[in-house]
Amino acid sequence: MRLRIRLNTIKARVIAALGVLIAGIVVIALIGVGALRTLDQTVSRELDGLTQAAEITNGLVVTLFDELRTGEQYLTDRAATVRQAFRDAGERAYGYQSRLRTLPDLREADRLMIARIAELQAEVEVWYSLAHAQVDLGRRAAAERTAGQVRVPTEELLRLVQDFSALQRNRAGIVAQSLRQSSSDGRTMVWTVLAASVLLGLVVGFATVRAVERPLSRLEAVAKRFADGDLRPITLGDMPEELASLAEAMTRISTKLRTLVASLVGESERIAASANDFSAISEQLAASAGEISTAMIDISGGAGLQVSGLQESSSAIEQLRAATERNGKMAGRLAELSEEIHHLAAKYEQDVSVSATTLLELGDVVQTSANQVEELDQLSDSVYDFVELIKTISTQTNLLALNAAIEAARAGERGIGFAVVADEVRQLADSSGAAAEEVTQTLSAVRTQVGQVSSTMAAGRAKVRGVETIAQGAADALGEIRRAIEEVEEGAQRVKNEAAGNLAAAQRILEEIGRASEAASSHASASEEVAAAAEQQGASTQEMAAQATQLNEAAERLRTLVKGFRV
Amino acid sequence: MRNPRTILSLLLAAAVSGCGSSDSPILIGLAGPFSEQPGVSMRRGAELAVAEINDRGGIRGRLLELVVKDDSASTEIAARVARELYETPGLVAVVGHVNSGATIAAAPIYNGGSRPVVQISPSASSPQVTEAGPYTFRVCPSDLVHGARLAEWAWEEVGARTAAVLYQNDAYGRGVRTTFQQSFEALGGAVVSEDPFVAPLPTFEPYLLRLSRRGGADAMMIAGTRAGAERIIATLDSLGVSYPVLGGDGLYGIESSDVDATGVLISSAYLPDRISPRNEAFVAAYQAAFGDVAPDHRGAGAYDAVHLLARVIREVGPDRRRIQSYLATVGTESAPFQGVTGVIAFDENGDVPDKEVVIGVVRGGRVVTAVRQ
Repeated sequence: MRLRIRLNTIKARVIAALGVLIAGIVVIALIGVGALRTLDQTVSRELDGLTQAAEITNGLVVTLFDELRTGEQYLTDRAATVRQAFRDAGERAYGYQSRLRTLPDLREADRLMIARIAELQAEVEVWYSLAHAQVDLGRRAAAERTAGQVRVPTEELLRLVQDFSALQRNRAGIVAQSLRQSSSDGRTMVWTVLAASVLLGLVVGFATVRAVERPLSRLEAVAKRFADGDLRPITLGDMPEELASLAEAMTRISTKLRTLVASLVGESERIAASANDFSAISEQLAASAGEISTAMIDISGGAGLQVSGLQESSSAIEQLRAATERNGKMAGRLAELSEEIHHLAAKYEQDVSVSATTLLELGDVVQTSANQVEELDQLSDSVYDFVELIKTISTQTNLLALNAAIEAARAGERGIGFAVVADEVRQLADSSGAAAEEVTQTLSAVRTQVGQVSSTMAAGRAKVRGVETIAQGAADALGEIRRAIEEVEEGAQRVKNEAAGNLAAAQRILEEIGRASEAASSHASASEEVAAAAEQQGASTQEMAAQATQLNEAAERLRTLVKGFRV
Repeated sequence: MRNPRTILSLLLAAAVSGCGSSDSPILIGLAGPFSEQPGVSMRRGAELAVAEINDRGGIRGRLLELVVKDDSASTEIAARVARELYETPGLVAVVGHVNSGATIAAAPIYNGGSRPVVQISPSASSPQVTEAGPYTFRVCPSDLVHGARLAEWAWEEVGARTAAVLYQNDAYGRGVRTTFQQSFEALGGAVVSEDPFVAPLPTFEPYLLRLSRRGGADAMMIAGTRAGAERIIATLDSLGVSYPVLGGDGLYGIESSDVDATGVLISSAYLPDRISPRNEAFVAAYQAAFGDVAPDHRGAGAYDAVHLLARVIREVGPDRRRIQSYLATVGTESAPFQGVTGVIAFDENGDVPDKEVVIGVVRGGRVVTAVRQ
């Protein structure tokens, strides 16, 4: 069982195939090396033995003949040199036969033969020595007889030496024969092992290729399906362990992709919807910003008319109020949107809080404007007093002129000139009073309007406060899709910056409005700055709207993309 | 599955045999020609030593037992019995063989194979034994030592200035002859004749007659065995001439032969009258055990060899290789062995080069230690 599982991997199969081949080669090499070494050792040992044996047997035969020759010679020629030559030959012969024992790999039969050779050689020497002693004693006949005893052992000795020599040669032949046999056996073995290794290697290799090829083609087909967007569940069947894990991975990938694409489709729908809303709101915001800008220009123009132009101011402020109101409404929608986006992810608040701050600051601006308008109202009170004073003066002047006319009539003819003057003064006083009346009327109209502006401002402030809350939600949504709409965020950043600039400018203009009666001239330019800033904000808002459109398009593309998957 | 079972069975077998071996005797081989006097002497010495050891409780609580194999002094049979001893399970060492030829023939078997076993020869004195192998030891000096010692004795104690040498024409006779001649000539003496003989030689008369006609010699050295020596002495008697006769331990036994060998000087690795308390106790025990027969150098050598092995086994246990390793250090890294034959200290060839050679003289049918004058 275990074996089957082990063999079910490509690695195991390849290792098995290679292992079989390598093992076969190693066995072949070992057989070869072993055979060669045995051959080498045996040959060198046998050669060595043969050489030694040949050398020793040759030496032995030669010295034996020397011994025989000198032994015989001494019988007739009793020279000391001959005797010495005989002794030397005997020593040499003994040396050779001793060396026979040192030959390698001697068997018991060899040893017995050597022992017999030694015995015979010793005997030959002794017979001659004895014969020599007899010759020395003058017993020639006895010496001849004794020397005659040598013949038998000598013949046997020479025969034995020859036999020994032949035995060694023979043994070398037998060894050579066995070497030939073992070498032939080795050859057969090598060929068998080689053939078996190659066959086994081929079988395992073929099986491995087959085991890899089929699952691979199945995996390839599945991969192609994935490439075409078909993520439906797959079945891959049995395959080697390595590919099985690959197949399992592919199955897991398809499952994961299916889940992912499904949620992606949902998310992209929602994002697209949100982006759509966002885009729309951004456009409206841009439009509102434009209106604010226009209103500001109007305010600035109105401010240029100073006190007498406060009527226009009031209408302009009315426009501002209206715009603020629309802002409020839009902010309301933005709040809805932000609520919706808030559900996507509520954790990104940082970036959007900046927008919230901007809106807060806008609220402050409105507040300040209201305060300024109130101050304007108070200012109109003092104007009213001044007009009252003029009216009193004109009334008194009229009375004075009337008195002067009466006095002139009393004076008669001489008072006629004075009466004309008095009439003029009276007319002047009348028109003064009429003018004062007119101013009073205008002033009350202004005051009414200022009151209206004031209440509008208060309403605006309340709405701005509402916007704050809504903006917070919107901010959250904006933050959530921040990653996808990086550019939008940048735009928002710019809007924020410009709004900050706008705020400063607005601050200034509102101060200017506050000091409308005193420093009306600078008012206009400050208002223009506000207008410019507002315009810039408008542009940025428009840019943001454009980017929102891009986002919208991206969301749309995403939606199209995920629609390509079959899940 | 198969392997663990095999290993288990092996372990069980080892445990069983281990238990058995602590009770079974330690086996030591004994090889020699037991139908001949030298073999008998050797066997007695070895058996006496084993009996003494076992009486004292054996070695490590185990008794010692001899596995006796007769080699009939034949190289062929020696090789066969060596194989039998080598293959005997539980056999840890061999005492043997007696003869140099048998010892040399058996040595390749003891030294070969995967489980080589130590052999200690009590009396193989051939110089060739030196090169027989690391597992071959002997407790007797080489023949070469005998020749030199005899030459020295002839020169100093006999006062010989000329010597005639009769040598057996084989390895032993030639070896002793050569060392005698070299030493004697080195001392200033002259070897006037060197005549070879072999066992079937019909007569020594021409050699000895020629020698006397040429003026004789101060001493006659017989480098051979007892048989040849007996005939030489008989021939000298028949010729009516007499020389002081010296010979190696090959002559041993001549004291109890038919010829009158009185006065013949024999070199020996051991003589029973050697003065040492250990030897006296040994001789007494030997005679008590085997009747009124004095031990010779073979018996004493075997006795020493067995006691030496007992000491080694006591030290390193009954293991063939460890016995060899330890034995090789006796006299060098470990203490020399104080035997009845003298101090045994091995050289790197398993020889005892410092072992003393004593000169004995035949007197009253016995060989007694010759006394310097």
